[in-house]
Amino acid sequence: MFQNRAEALALALPAAIFAATVFLVPVVILLSDGFRAPAGGWTISAYTDFFSNPLNQAVFLRTLRLGALVTIASAVIGYAAAFAIVSLEPGAKGKVTGLVVLPLMISPVARTYAWIVILGRTGIVNQAFQALGITEAPLRILFSETAIFIGLLQLFLPLMIISLISALENMPKDAIPAARVLGANWFQVFWKVVLPLTKEGLVIGGTLVFTGSLTAYITPAILGGSKVLMLETLLYQQVAVSNNFVAASVIAFILIVMSFAANILLKRVATARNKQRSPQ
Amino acid sequence: MNKVILASGAALMLTMGAAQTPALAQEKTLTISVYALAQDEYKQIVYEPFQKICGCKLVVETGNSVERLAKMEANKANPVVDMAVVSMADALAASRAGLIDKIDTSKLSSFGKLYDVAKDPNKDGMSVGYTFYATSIAYRSDKMKIDSWADLLKPEYASHVAWPNVTTNQGPPALYMLGLALAKDTADLKAPIEAVGAKKAEIVTFYEKSSQLVQLMQQEEIWAAPIGRFTWAPFTKLAFPIAWATPKEGQTGGMNVMILTKGAKNQELALQFMDFWLSTEVQTKLAEKLIDSPANKDVKLPEAIANNLTYGEETAKSLKLIPSAVALDNRAGWIKTWNEKVGQ
Repeated sequence: MFQNRAEALALALPAAIFAATVFLVPVVILLSDGFRAPAGGWTISAYTDFFSNPLNQAVFLRTLRLGALVTIASAVIGYAAAFAIVSLEPGAKGKVTGLVVLPLMISPVARTYAWIVILGRTGIVNQAFQALGITEAPLRILFSETAIFIGLLQLFLPLMIISLISALENMPKDAIPAARVLGANWFQVFWKVVLPLTKEGLVIGGTLVFTGSLTAYITPAILGGSKVLMLETLLYQQVAVSNNFVAASVIAFILIVMSFAANILLKRVATARNKQRSPQ
Repeated sequence: MNKVILASGAALMLTMGAAQTPALAQEKTLTISVYALAQDEYKQIVYEPFQKICGCKLVVETGNSVERLAKMEANKANPVVDMAVVSMADALAASRAGLIDKIDTSKLSSFGKLYDVAKDPNKDGMSVGYTFYATSIAYRSDKMKIDSWADLLKPEYASHVAWPNVTTNQGPPALYMLGLALAKDTADLKAPIEAVGAKKAEIVTFYEKSSQLVQLMQQEEIWAAPIGRFTWAPFTKLAFPIAWATPKEGQTGGMNVMILTKGAKNQELALQFMDFWLSTEVQTKLAEKLIDSPANKDVKLPEAIANNLTYGEETAKSLKLIPSAVALDNRAGWIKTWNEKVGQ
């Protein structure tokens, strides 16, 4: 389109300078706080201090665990839902996809508050459990890891379903019948045919869900509270209550690293399967 | 090529220039830093009438006290804010950090009308109280009976209680009263924090925002919670009988105070504003709207309103407040002990 690269670069310059000055530089300044020694120079002591605190260890592991569980659960449910949706008639497909996307247009605050009503002692879930005789007294679901898990799953499942729908639509229509004809059972069809062919959708969906779960603030704040801290709620506490920007910067850096690591790991898993298959 | 670079550079300069608002210095401005609560009412009762009197412009910054103090610290060399309202303990913190000046109370015509406890809460001449509040326990009187702060931890009650997190304004006072009830009231709050920690699995939640409690009470998620009197009004509108406890150890609470920034550009104007806020007229109006309990003893309120506030000299005197120095010197230790015993 352009006669030389220089012109194209020059046109991109204002946007690049803008992004650098208002985004990149502040982020670097903020993150560098975590590596600055009080007496000058650089150090990682803020990180060793952070991880030597048992509370922080517990919060870190809980965040990692919930992020992984939400990602796995959304992949399992997401594949089933995406399969069902792509097999629909075109008209119905559009409508159902619209329904899947709909919750994304409602504020997370409203959605999360709805969970307080649903999961509460007198909420529908407990009423149903008691009516069916599953429990005698109301279960305590609110302010627990279970509540955060449910809230995050509902929040991010649509992203996984949408990613998988587009991946499944790009898969050759006759791949599954062909595998069946050649004698593969349903598990083999999924593991050896569908998964490799839709791995990109899974990587994109998985990254979105995992990083979303790590960085969501409202849902863990409302459904977990300070009794079940996650890294984001701990970060908020450090800034707004303790005024400890060094610890906050450490947590922010850990969250960024975890997001990148998740993306790299998911890509690795996908390419590793590719290599395994290539000699055949 | 050069032209393209020049043009894009010019475009950038243009957008950056447009983002700056031209500095208009046509009138005196007074910058104040306040809590974000009830700003519509403050605007109507305090800010707008004052602007008319002084012929000046009022710039209002809001936020929680930690954020606002951090901002004052950052702008220490060239102060932006002229006066601020903070908690008693934060006023002492600001004073220790050298951020504030002594208040010349001879310039406050309403000073003599204040309750004695509000005149110089930290005994250093650096702050003046403008409102105070009691902290006690709001509870379902049909489900339980609260005679002592320790009752909240009884086995039959603990699983129906929301306790304030140590990081909230109500947290340390509530722990202090629990310490009194347990007859172990040391400044490090170790015994009460351990007592709460032992019941952490049962306690419904450690709340950080009191606004959440009304919903939890309405859903019968909780039956009781220690709260500040300033959040009491919505509880009285619930369909259940909710009572305000008068435990035998007494009630605790807190006081909010006005401070004057060191080196502020408009100290005279700031003092004039403080005096206006402390006047009987303004304090009465703020009380009538249930915004702030008055610190001015000339404020006379009908019983219906007084019942929803922390009203009267006797009440003010009877509150068991944690001294600011104790709060400041122990805050970090409380959070540490709390995180060890309760947080994990």
